[in-house]
Amino acid sequence: MIFWVHLLNVTGSSSSLSTTAIMPRVLAYPPKYKRVQQAWVENLDTVEEQKLGLIDLHPDVFGAQPRIDIIHENIEWQTKYRQVRYDHTKTRAEVRGGGRKPWPQKGTGRARHGSIRSPLWRGGGLSHGPRSPKTYFYMLPFYTRVHGLISCLSVKLAQDDLHIVNSLEIPTDDPKYIEDLVDSRTWGPSVLLVDEMDIMPRNITAATDSILHYNLMPVYGLNVYSMLKHDTLVLTLAAVNRIEEKLLYQLNRPDICNVVKKYELNQNG
Amino acid sequence: MSLCLKSFTLICHSIKNPQLTCVRNRYHAEKIAKGPLLRRYGYKDKILQSGTLPHVDGPPISMPVYRPKNAWCEKRALFGQNDYIDILGNGELHPTRILYNVQSWLRGVQGNEYQILLRKRKVFNKGIVPIARPSKWKDLNKRIKYLYRFLNRKTKTGMSSD
Repeated sequence: MIFWVHLLNVTGSSSSLSTTAIMPRVLAYPPKYKRVQQAWVENLDTVEEQKLGLIDLHPDVFGAQPRIDIIHENIEWQTKYRQVRYDHTKTRAEVRGGGRKPWPQKGTGRARHGSIRSPLWRGGGLSHGPRSPKTYFYMLPFYTRVHGLISCLSVKLAQDDLHIVNSLEIPTDDPKYIEDLVDSRTWGPSVLLVDEMDIMPRNITAATDSILHYNLMPVYGLNVYSMLKHDTLVLTLAAVNRIEEKLLYQLNRPDICNVVKKYELNQNG
Repeated sequence: MSLCLKSFTLICHSIKNPQLTCVRNRYHAEKIAKGPLLRRYGYKDKILQSGTLPHVDGPPISMPVYRPKNAWCEKRALFGQNDYIDILGNGELHPTRILYNVQSWLRGVQGNEYQILLRKRKVFNKGIVPIARPSKWKDLNKRIKYLYRFLNRKTKTGMSSD
């Protein structure tokens, strides 16, 4: 197994186009039969776009066959698996009252009844109504979720909705700066900015705080639903490295029997 | 017949008292002008008996004002975050352990009503619920007992109770 060492030399905001600013990436698990994907590394320091360099992206992560059905399965899973319905109706045993026979079986000309809370009666219990917490939980197979992420990233790159940025440092914390930046680069109405760590630079957090459709996310929070909800996906170089590292590890790990097991409750995942 | 008698008595009266003249206080035209006699006072004739009935009595009920949902509120903008934390994180954390909006005993639970009630009883047996909510606890046990008998004696194996 080849572990690659990443060297990033980030220059200041005043640098013009210089291809030596971004070191070329060495891909882990070098692709044998697929063509390497490539993407520009841009900057966020100025409103105008400056291309800092061209980097390679692993085709198994960013150039995979876009499986729309797997993406759909992932979206459905994300929407449903956390859903719990709490609507509840009482049965005839639970409705207050109704223990006594309302009138004798025979003699009165009325229909025969055993309790005033049977489902036939007004105010009676419901025999087949919704019952207590109903969960819709299920887990997708592990590799369906992995391939969901891979397909979505490939789709984003193929449709020009993926942009790689050297870092999320911006000069001001003015929301208008980010708006102008996104408008000038036609980055789409909604932007998802992904960095490696969950602690982001102060300026970008202050600027995007008031704009609800520009959202920040760490790498571990990335998911298919958010990638499709936001039109543009902006990854930092560190985030790209982390995503590739994780997904390639999942695709090539030797102990898949540990992860493809059926989900068991109370086994700490 | 009584009309003849009345006119006859009037004539006799006028003969006896020739200074009297008959005065009418009621005229037929006024009666007609007043309109027909109101019968069945307060009765509302229901012309429309079925189907969708219009709101003719009382204030008109208008359509509610349309309030579009904010698609970019925090909950909706970041929906699905951390669902892939076992893939993109260090592999120790499972997404079920992050379902903070779900009750703790329901996280990662799937099953029909009977299985969920059994789990509920197992979890809440240790706490205050059997003592603080005796009626609810009794209803829970009753329902479990009923579902056991129904599912095991009245249905085939493998049928769900939902």
